[in-house]
Amino acid sequence: MVQLRLAAWAEVQTPAGEGLLEPLVSLSLLCFYSLGIPLLGMQAEQHQEEEEEGEEEKEGSGGGCEPEGAFRKNPFQLTVEDVYDISYVLGRELHKISSEPRGEMAAKVAHLQFKVVSVLEMLEALVNESNLTVEALKMERDSLKREVEELRKQGSHSAAEEVSLGPNKMVVDLTDANRPRFTLQELREVLQERNHLKAQLMVVQEELQCYKSGLMSQKQHPIEPTHKEPAVGSASGSSTGSEEKTIVKRLFAFKRPR
Amino acid sequence: MAKKTYDLLFKLLLIGDSGVGKTCVLFRFSDDAFNTTFISTIGIDFKIKTVELQGKKIKLQIWDTAGQERFHTITTSYYRGAMGIMLVYDITNAKSFENISKWLRNIDEHANEDVERMLLGNKCDMEDKRVVPKAKGEQIAREHGIRFFETSAKANINIEKAFLTLAEDILRKTPVKEPNSENVDISSGGGVTGWKSKCC
Repeated sequence: MVQLRLAAWAEVQTPAGEGLLEPLVSLSLLCFYSLGIPLLGMQAEQHQEEEEEGEEEKEGSGGGCEPEGAFRKNPFQLTVEDVYDISYVLGRELHKISSEPRGEMAAKVAHLQFKVVSVLEMLEALVNESNLTVEALKMERDSLKREVEELRKQGSHSAAEEVSLGPNKMVVDLTDANRPRFTLQELREVLQERNHLKAQLMVVQEELQCYKSGLMSQKQHPIEPTHKEPAVGSASGSSTGSEEKTIVKRLFAFKRPR
Repeated sequence: MAKKTYDLLFKLLLIGDSGVGKTCVLFRFSDDAFNTTFISTIGIDFKIKTVELQGKKIKLQIWDTAGQERFHTITTSYYRGAMGIMLVYDITNAKSFENISKWLRNIDEHANEDVERMLLGNKCDMEDKRVVPKAKGEQIAREHGIRFFETSAKANINIEKAFLTLAEDILRKTPVKEPNSENVDISSGGGVTGWKSKCC
Protein backbone atom coordinates (compact mmCIF):
# COMPACT_ATOMS: atom_id res chain seq x y z
CA MET A 1 0.00 0.00 0.00
CA VAL A 2 2.61 2.48 1.09
CA GLN A 3 4.82 1.43 -1.77
CA LEU A 4 2.01 2.19 -4.14
CA ARG A 5 1.52 5.59 -2.65
CA LEU A 6 5.12 6.41 -2.98
CA ALA A 7 5.04 5.18 -6.54
CA ALA A 8 2.13 7.48 -7.20
CA TRP A 9 4.04 10.28 -5.54
CA ALA A 10 7.07 9.58 -7.67
CA GLU A 11 4.91 9.55 -10.73
CA VAL A 12 3.58 12.95 -9.83
CA GLN A 13 7.14 14.17 -9.53
CA THR A 14 7.78 13.56 -13.23
CA PRO A 15 8.39 16.73 -15.14
CA ALA A 16 5.40 18.86 -15.89
CA GLY A 17 4.21 19.43 -19.42
CA GLU A 18 3.33 15.85 -20.33
CA GLY A 19 -0.27 16.85 -20.37
CA LEU A 20 -2.91 17.14 -17.74
CA LEU A 21 -4.18 13.63 -17.94
CA GLU A 22 -1.35 11.73 -16.30
CA PRO A 23 -0.98 13.97 -13.22
CA LEU A 24 -4.74 13.91 -12.81
CA VAL A 25 -4.78 10.16 -12.90
CA SER A 26 -1.93 10.14 -10.43
CA LEU A 27 -3.78 12.56 -8.18
CA SER A 28 -6.89 10.44 -8.29
CA LEU A 29 -4.88 7.37 -7.56
CA LEU A 30 -3.18 9.12 -4.71
CA CYS A 31 -6.54 10.13 -3.25
CA PHE A 32 -8.00 6.71 -3.64
CA TYR A 33 -5.09 5.18 -1.95
CA SER A 34 -5.43 7.73 0.80
CA LEU A 35 -9.04 6.64 1.17
CA GLY A 36 -8.02 3.06 1.26
CA ILE A 37 -5.58 3.56 4.09
CA PRO A 38 -8.12 3.30 6.94
CA LEU A 39 -8.56 -0.33 6.03
CA LEU A 40 -5.02 -1.01 7.13
CA GLY A 41 -3.80 -1.21 10.67
CA MET A 42 -1.92 1.37 12.72
CA GLN A 43 1.28 -0.47 12.09
CA ALA A 44 1.08 0.12 8.41
CA GLU A 45 0.46 3.77 8.95
CA GLN A 46 3.45 4.15 11.20
CA HIS A 47 5.50 2.45 8.61
CA GLN A 48 4.13 4.90 6.04
CA GLU A 49 5.14 7.89 8.09
CA GLU A 50 8.64 6.56 8.46
CA GLU A 51 8.77 6.21 4.72
CA GLU A 52 7.47 9.74 4.35
CA GLU A 53 10.16 11.11 6.58
CA GLY A 54 12.77 9.32 4.54
CA GLU A 55 11.21 10.74 1.45
CA GLU A 56 11.11 14.22 2.85
CA GLU A 57 14.77 14.00 3.67
CA LYS A 58 15.45 12.96 0.13
CA GLU A 59 13.38 15.89 -1.14
CA GLY A 60 15.16 18.28 1.20
CA SER A 61 18.58 17.13 0.11
CA GLY A 62 17.44 17.39 -3.49
CA GLY A 63 16.73 21.07 -3.04
CA GLY A 64 12.90 20.70 -2.96
CA CYS A 65 10.51 21.39 -0.05
CA GLU A 66 8.53 19.21 2.29
CA PRO A 67 4.90 18.71 1.17
CA GLU A 68 3.59 21.17 3.82
CA GLY A 69 5.71 23.89 2.18
CA ALA A 70 3.12 24.14 -0.60
CA PHE A 71 0.67 25.74 1.87
CA ARG A 72 3.06 28.59 2.59
CA LYS A 73 3.73 29.36 -1.05
CA ASN A 74 2.54 32.41 -2.92
CA PRO A 75 -0.68 31.26 -4.69
CA PHE A 76 0.63 32.70 -7.94
CA GLN A 77 3.80 30.64 -7.75
CA LEU A 78 2.03 27.32 -7.23
CA THR A 79 3.06 24.45 -9.47
CA VAL A 80 1.10 21.31 -10.19
CA GLU A 81 3.52 19.48 -7.92
CA ASP A 82 2.49 21.79 -5.10
CA VAL A 83 -1.12 20.83 -5.74
CA TYR A 84 -0.11 17.19 -5.41
CA ASP A 85 1.73 17.98 -2.21
CA ILE A 86 -1.39 19.68 -0.89
CA SER A 87 -3.49 16.71 -1.86
CA TYR A 88 -1.04 14.39 -0.22
CA VAL A 89 -1.01 16.34 3.02
CA LEU A 90 -4.80 16.70 3.05
CA GLY A 91 -5.17 12.98 2.38
CA ARG A 92 -2.81 12.20 5.22
CA GLU A 93 -4.66 14.49 7.65
CA LEU A 94 -8.04 13.10 6.63
CA HIS A 95 -6.66 9.64 7.05
CA LYS A 96 -5.48 10.48 10.54
CA ILE A 97 -8.93 11.74 11.48
CA SER A 98 -10.79 8.86 9.87
CA SER A 99 -8.58 6.36 11.57
CA GLU A 100 -9.90 7.49 14.92
CA PRO A 101 -12.11 4.67 16.26
CA ARG A 102 -15.51 6.28 15.69
CA GLY A 103 -17.52 4.60 12.94
CA GLU A 104 -19.63 7.39 11.62
CA MET A 105 -16.75 9.79 11.53
CA ALA A 106 -14.88 7.72 8.97
CA ALA A 107 -17.75 7.83 6.48
CA LYS A 108 -18.09 11.62 6.82
CA VAL A 109 -14.39 12.09 6.35
CA ALA A 110 -14.52 9.93 3.24
CA HIS A 111 -17.34 12.08 1.89
CA LEU A 112 -15.39 15.23 2.64
CA GLN A 113 -12.32 13.66 1.08
CA PHE A 114 -14.05 13.27 -2.32
CA LYS A 115 -15.01 16.92 -2.25
CA VAL A 116 -11.50 17.94 -1.36
CA VAL A 117 -10.21 15.81 -4.21
CA SER A 118 -12.55 17.47 -6.69
CA VAL A 119 -11.45 20.93 -5.47
CA LEU A 120 -7.84 19.85 -5.78
CA GLU A 121 -8.47 18.60 -9.30
CA MET A 122 -9.91 22.00 -10.22
CA LEU A 123 -6.90 23.65 -8.65
CA GLU A 124 -4.61 21.30 -10.54
CA ALA A 125 -6.25 22.20 -13.84
CA LEU A 126 -6.07 25.93 -13.13
CA VAL A 127 -2.47 25.85 -11.98
CA ASN A 128 -1.48 23.72 -14.93
CA GLU A 129 -3.23 26.03 -17.35
CA SER A 130 -1.74 29.18 -15.82
CA ASN A 131 1.73 27.66 -15.69
CA LEU A 132 1.50 26.73 -19.35
CA THR A 133 0.38 30.26 -20.15
CA VAL A 134 3.26 31.70 -18.15
CA GLU A 135 5.63 29.38 -19.97
CA ALA A 136 4.28 30.46 -23.37
CA LEU A 137 4.49 34.14 -22.39
CA LYS A 138 8.05 33.69 -21.18
CA MET A 139 9.02 32.17 -24.51
CA GLU A 140 7.26 34.98 -26.33
CA ARG A 141 9.09 37.51 -24.17
CA ASP A 142 12.48 35.92 -24.83
CA SER A 143 11.99 35.88 -28.59
CA LEU A 144 10.84 39.50 -28.50
CA LYS A 145 13.92 40.38 -26.45
CA ARG A 146 16.14 38.79 -29.05
CA GLU A 147 14.29 40.64 -31.79
CA VAL A 148 14.68 43.97 -29.98
CA GLU A 149 18.36 43.25 -29.46
CA GLU A 150 18.88 42.65 -33.16
CA LEU A 151 16.90 45.71 -34.15
CA ARG A 152 18.88 47.75 -31.64
CA LYS A 153 22.13 46.53 -33.21
CA GLN A 154 20.93 47.46 -36.69
CA GLY A 155 19.67 50.78 -35.36
CA SER A 156 22.99 51.58 -33.71
CA HIS A 157 24.75 50.77 -36.99
CA SER A 158 22.66 53.20 -39.02
CA ALA A 159 22.76 55.70 -36.17
CA ALA A 160 26.56 55.44 -36.15
CA GLU A 161 26.60 56.33 -39.82
CA GLU A 162 24.53 59.41 -39.13
CA VAL A 163 26.59 60.34 -36.08
CA SER A 164 29.79 60.17 -38.13
CA LEU A 165 28.30 63.04 -40.15
CA GLY A 166 27.95 65.15 -37.04
CA PRO A 167 25.57 68.00 -36.31
CA ASN A 168 27.49 70.61 -38.32
CA LYS A 169 28.19 68.48 -41.38
CA MET A 170 26.41 68.42 -44.68
CA VAL A 171 25.98 65.91 -47.46
CA VAL A 172 27.30 66.91 -50.86
CA ASP A 173 25.72 65.60 -54.02
CA LEU A 174 28.71 64.61 -56.14
CA THR A 175 26.65 64.76 -59.32
CA ASP A 176 25.73 68.40 -58.73
CA ALA A 177 27.83 70.57 -61.02
CA ASN A 178 27.33 73.49 -58.64
CA ARG A 179 28.39 71.60 -55.53
CA PRO A 180 30.90 73.38 -53.29
CA ARG A 181 34.36 72.05 -54.06
CA PHE A 182 36.89 74.79 -53.40
CA THR A 183 38.19 75.71 -50.00
CA LEU A 184 38.05 79.13 -48.44
CA GLN A 185 41.84 79.23 -48.61
CA GLU A 186 41.74 78.63 -52.36
CA LEU A 187 39.16 81.38 -52.76
CA ARG A 188 41.28 83.68 -50.63
CA GLU A 189 44.30 83.04 -52.85
CA VAL A 190 42.34 83.56 -56.06
CA LEU A 191 40.92 86.82 -54.72
CA GLN A 192 44.35 88.00 -53.63
CA GLU A 193 45.75 87.27 -57.04
CA ARG A 194 42.80 88.95 -58.73
CA ASN A 195 43.17 92.07 -56.61
CA HIS A 196 46.93 92.12 -57.09
CA LEU A 197 46.55 91.92 -60.87
CA LYS A 198 43.83 94.55 -60.74
CA ALA A 199 46.19 96.85 -58.86
CA GLN A 200 48.93 96.21 -61.38
CA LEU A 201 46.56 96.88 -64.23
CA MET A 202 45.69 100.21 -62.65
CA VAL A 203 49.35 101.11 -62.40
CA VAL A 204 49.78 100.33 -66.06
CA GLN A 205 46.65 102.26 -66.99
CA GLU A 206 47.87 105.22 -65.02
CA GLU A 207 51.22 105.19 -66.70
CA LEU A 208 49.55 104.87 -70.05
CA GLN A 209 47.46 107.90 -69.18
CA CYS A 210 50.59 109.83 -68.29
CA TYR A 211 52.22 109.04 -71.56
CA LYS A 212 49.08 109.78 -73.50
CA SER A 213 48.59 113.17 -71.90
CA GLY A 214 52.18 114.00 -72.70
CA LEU A 215 53.20 114.44 -69.11
CA MET A 216 56.47 112.77 -69.86
CA SER A 217 59.13 115.32 -70.39
CA GLN A 218 61.43 114.35 -73.17
CA LYS A 219 64.20 116.22 -71.51
CA GLN A 220 63.91 114.28 -68.30
CA HIS A 221 63.54 110.99 -70.04
CA PRO A 222 65.09 111.08 -73.44
CA ILE A 223 63.94 108.16 -75.46
CA GLU A 224 66.63 105.60 -75.28
CA PRO A 225 67.03 102.22 -76.83
CA THR A 226 65.40 99.54 -74.72
CA HIS A 227 68.66 98.10 -73.45
CA LYS A 228 69.03 101.10 -71.12
CA GLU A 229 65.73 100.39 -69.36
CA PRO A 230 67.14 98.53 -66.35
CA ALA A 231 68.30 101.83 -64.85
CA VAL A 232 64.71 103.08 -64.77
CA GLY A 233 63.47 99.76 -63.49
CA SER A 234 65.80 99.73 -60.52
CA ALA A 235 64.55 103.12 -59.42
CA SER A 236 60.94 102.02 -59.22
CA GLY A 237 59.31 100.80 -56.05
CA SER A 238 58.75 97.13 -56.81
CA SER A 239 60.22 94.66 -59.22
CA THR A 240 56.84 93.79 -60.70
CA GLY A 241 56.16 97.48 -61.14
CA SER A 242 59.43 97.90 -62.95
CA GLU A 243 58.57 95.05 -65.25
CA GLU A 244 55.27 96.66 -66.09
CA LYS A 245 57.00 99.94 -66.64
CA THR A 246 59.56 98.34 -68.88
CA ILE A 247 56.89 96.81 -71.03
CA VAL A 248 54.97 100.05 -71.27
CA LYS A 249 58.08 102.03 -72.09
CA ARG A 250 59.09 99.47 -74.60
CA LEU A 251 55.78 99.82 -76.31
CA PHE A 252 56.25 103.54 -76.50
CA ALA A 253 59.89 103.26 -77.40
CA PHE A 254 58.90 101.27 -80.39
CA LYS A 255 56.18 103.70 -81.26
CA ARG A 256 58.08 106.94 -80.92
CA PRO A 257 60.71 106.46 -83.58
CA ARG A 258 58.10 106.01 -86.25
CA MET B 1 63.06 111.22 -61.35
CA ALA B 2 59.53 109.93 -61.42
CA LYS B 3 56.82 111.94 -59.70
CA LYS B 4 53.94 110.27 -57.93
CA THR B 5 50.40 110.87 -59.08
CA TYR B 6 49.24 111.26 -55.48
CA ASP B 7 50.49 112.54 -52.13
CA LEU B 8 48.75 110.16 -49.81
CA LEU B 9 47.09 106.82 -50.04
CA PHE B 10 44.20 106.02 -47.75
CA LYS B 11 42.86 102.57 -47.42
CA LEU B 12 39.14 102.40 -46.71
CA LEU B 13 36.84 99.45 -46.04
CA LEU B 14 33.12 98.97 -46.58
CA ILE B 15 31.30 96.56 -44.27
CA GLY B 16 27.69 95.72 -43.44
CA ASP B 17 25.01 93.09 -44.05
CA SER B 18 24.61 91.49 -47.45
CA GLY B 19 22.41 93.51 -49.79
CA VAL B 20 22.56 96.89 -48.03
CA GLY B 21 24.28 98.43 -51.06
CA LYS B 22 27.97 98.59 -50.20
CA THR B 23 29.05 97.79 -53.75
CA CYS B 24 26.55 100.30 -55.17
CA VAL B 25 27.75 103.02 -52.80
CA LEU B 26 31.30 102.38 -53.96
CA PHE B 27 30.32 102.11 -57.61
CA ARG B 28 28.52 105.45 -57.39
CA PHE B 29 31.56 107.06 -55.82
CA SER B 30 34.20 105.56 -58.12
CA ASP B 31 32.32 105.47 -61.43
CA ASP B 32 29.34 107.75 -60.75
CA ALA B 33 27.03 104.98 -61.92
CA PHE B 34 24.30 102.78 -60.52
CA ASN B 35 23.15 99.30 -61.40
CA THR B 36 19.93 97.82 -60.04
CA THR B 37 20.91 94.17 -60.58
CA PHE B 38 22.08 92.63 -57.36
CA ILE B 39 25.32 90.73 -57.73
CA SER B 40 26.60 89.44 -54.44
CA THR B 41 30.24 90.36 -53.92
CA ILE B 42 32.52 87.35 -53.80
CA GLY B 43 34.83 87.72 -50.84
CA ILE B 44 36.52 91.05 -51.38
CA ASP B 45 37.02 93.55 -54.16
CA PHE B 46 38.43 97.06 -54.37
CA LYS B 47 38.28 100.25 -56.33
CA ILE B 48 40.55 103.23 -56.59
CA LYS B 49 39.56 106.87 -56.59
CA THR B 50 41.87 109.84 -56.31
CA VAL B 51 40.48 112.93 -54.63
CA GLU B 52 41.99 116.27 -53.78
CA LEU B 53 41.76 117.54 -50.21
CA GLN B 54 43.53 120.59 -48.78
CA GLY B 55 45.71 120.77 -51.84
CA LYS B 56 46.75 117.15 -51.47
CA LYS B 57 46.10 114.44 -53.95
CA ILE B 58 44.76 111.54 -51.98
CA LYS B 59 44.41 108.15 -53.53
CA LEU B 60 41.58 106.21 -51.92
CA GLN B 61 41.89 102.49 -52.17
CA ILE B 62 38.44 101.33 -51.14
CA TRP B 63 37.93 97.71 -50.22
CA ASP B 64 34.45 96.35 -50.74
CA THR B 65 33.66 93.31 -48.60
CA ALA B 66 31.06 90.58 -49.05
CA GLY B 67 28.37 90.90 -46.39
CA GLN B 68 27.57 87.21 -46.42
CA GLU B 69 28.63 85.29 -43.36
CA ARG B 70 30.38 82.60 -45.43
CA PHE B 71 33.07 85.10 -46.47
CA HIS B 72 33.56 86.32 -42.93
CA THR B 73 37.03 84.84 -42.41
CA ILE B 74 38.26 86.28 -45.69
CA THR B 75 36.83 89.75 -45.14
CA THR B 76 37.94 90.17 -41.54
CA SER B 77 41.55 89.70 -42.58
CA TYR B 78 41.26 92.98 -44.49
CA TYR B 79 40.18 95.02 -41.45
CA ARG B 80 43.70 95.32 -40.09
CA GLY B 81 45.08 97.54 -42.84
CA ALA B 82 42.09 99.87 -43.06
CA MET B 83 42.48 103.51 -42.01
CA GLY B 84 38.76 104.17 -42.38
CA ILE B 85 35.76 101.87 -42.19
CA MET B 86 32.28 102.61 -43.51
CA LEU B 87 29.58 100.56 -41.81
CA VAL B 88 26.55 100.47 -44.08
CA TYR B 89 22.98 99.45 -43.22
CA ASP B 90 19.78 99.58 -45.23
CA ILE B 91 17.04 101.90 -43.91
CA THR B 92 14.43 99.52 -45.39
CA ASN B 93 15.91 96.50 -43.59
CA ALA B 94 15.56 96.41 -39.81
CA LYS B 95 17.82 93.39 -39.46
CA SER B 96 20.70 95.19 -41.14
CA PHE B 97 20.30 97.96 -38.56
CA GLU B 98 20.13 95.52 -35.65
CA ASN B 99 23.38 93.97 -36.84
CA ILE B 100 25.28 97.25 -36.51
CA SER B 101 26.47 96.28 -33.04
CA LYS B 102 27.77 93.00 -34.45
CA TRP B 103 29.73 94.85 -37.14
CA LEU B 104 31.06 97.34 -34.59
CA ARG B 105 32.26 94.39 -32.53
CA ASN B 106 34.02 93.02 -35.61
CA ILE B 107 35.78 96.37 -36.00
CA ASP B 108 36.88 96.27 -32.36
CA GLU B 109 38.19 92.76 -32.80
CA HIS B 110 39.92 92.97 -36.14
CA ALA B 111 40.70 96.59 -37.07
CA ASN B 112 43.36 99.01 -35.90
CA GLU B 113 42.46 100.82 -32.72
CA ASP B 114 42.70 104.29 -34.30
CA VAL B 115 40.60 103.43 -37.35
CA GLU B 116 38.11 106.14 -38.45
CA ARG B 117 34.58 104.80 -38.40
CA MET B 118 31.48 106.07 -40.15
CA LEU B 119 27.88 104.86 -40.23
CA LEU B 120 25.82 105.03 -43.42
CA GLY B 121 22.07 104.42 -43.69
CA ASN B 122 21.74 103.60 -47.36
CA LYS B 123 18.73 103.51 -49.71
CA CYS B 124 17.34 106.76 -48.26
CA ASP B 125 15.57 107.36 -51.58
CA MET B 126 13.11 104.59 -50.65
CA GLU B 127 11.19 106.64 -48.11
CA ASP B 128 8.00 104.57 -48.57
CA LYS B 129 9.80 101.42 -47.49
CA ARG B 130 11.75 102.95 -44.62
CA VAL B 131 11.67 100.98 -41.37
CA VAL B 132 14.64 102.59 -39.61
CA PRO B 133 13.99 106.24 -38.66
CA LYS B 134 16.83 108.61 -39.30
CA ALA B 135 16.85 109.51 -35.61
CA LYS B 136 17.68 105.93 -34.66
CA GLY B 137 20.69 105.97 -36.95
CA GLU B 138 21.80 109.30 -35.52
CA GLN B 139 21.34 108.00 -32.00
CA ILE B 140 23.43 104.86 -32.41
CA ALA B 141 26.14 106.88 -34.19
CA ARG B 142 26.18 109.34 -31.30
CA GLU B 143 26.40 106.52 -28.77
CA HIS B 144 29.52 105.22 -30.49
CA GLY B 145 30.96 108.62 -31.26
CA ILE B 146 31.02 108.18 -35.01
CA ARG B 147 29.80 110.19 -37.99
CA PHE B 148 26.52 109.34 -39.65
CA PHE B 149 24.99 109.97 -43.06
CA GLU B 150 21.90 108.75 -44.77
CA THR B 151 22.86 107.98 -48.35
CA SER B 152 21.41 106.81 -51.62
CA ALA B 153 23.64 105.29 -54.23
CA LYS B 154 20.70 105.24 -56.61
CA ALA B 155 19.73 108.90 -56.17
CA ASN B 156 23.33 109.93 -55.54
CA ILE B 157 22.65 111.44 -52.14
CA ASN B 158 25.54 112.10 -49.74
CA ILE B 159 27.79 109.50 -51.38
CA GLU B 160 30.69 111.79 -52.26
CA LYS B 161 30.17 113.77 -49.07
CA ALA B 162 30.51 110.64 -46.97
CA PHE B 163 33.75 109.50 -48.62
CA LEU B 164 35.28 112.95 -48.57
CA THR B 165 34.36 113.46 -44.93
CA LEU B 166 35.91 110.15 -43.98
CA ALA B 167 39.04 110.99 -45.98
CA GLU B 168 39.23 114.41 -44.30
CA ASP B 169 38.94 112.83 -40.87
CA ILE B 170 41.80 110.49 -41.70
CA LEU B 171 43.83 113.31 -43.21
CA ARG B 172 43.32 115.37 -40.05
CA LYS B 173 45.16 112.84 -37.94
CA THR B 174 47.76 111.94 -40.53
CA PRO B 175 51.12 113.36 -39.52
CA VAL B 176 52.14 115.97 -42.08
CA LYS B 177 55.22 115.05 -44.00
CA GLU B 178 57.21 117.80 -45.62
CA PRO B 179 57.40 118.20 -49.39
CA ASN B 180 59.89 115.42 -49.40
CA SER B 181 56.74 113.53 -50.29
CA GLU B 182 58.72 111.59 -52.81
CA ASN B 183 58.66 108.68 -50.44
CA VAL B 184 55.49 108.94 -48.44
CA ASP B 185 55.43 105.83 -46.40
CA ILE B 186 52.04 104.43 -47.11
CA SER B 187 52.54 100.96 -45.80
CA SER B 188 53.12 102.12 -42.22
CA GLY B 189 49.72 103.74 -42.11
CA GLY B 190 47.55 101.12 -43.64
CA GLY B 191 49.68 98.17 -44.58
CA VAL B 192 48.91 98.79 -48.19
CA THR B 193 50.26 96.28 -50.62
CA GLY B 194 53.57 97.33 -52.08
CA TRP B 195 52.42 98.80 -55.36
CA LYS B 196 53.22 102.44 -55.82
CA SER B 197 52.40 104.25 -58.91
CA LYS B 198 55.18 106.33 -60.24
CA CYS B 199 54.93 108.11 -63.45
CA CYS B 200 57.33 109.93 -65.66
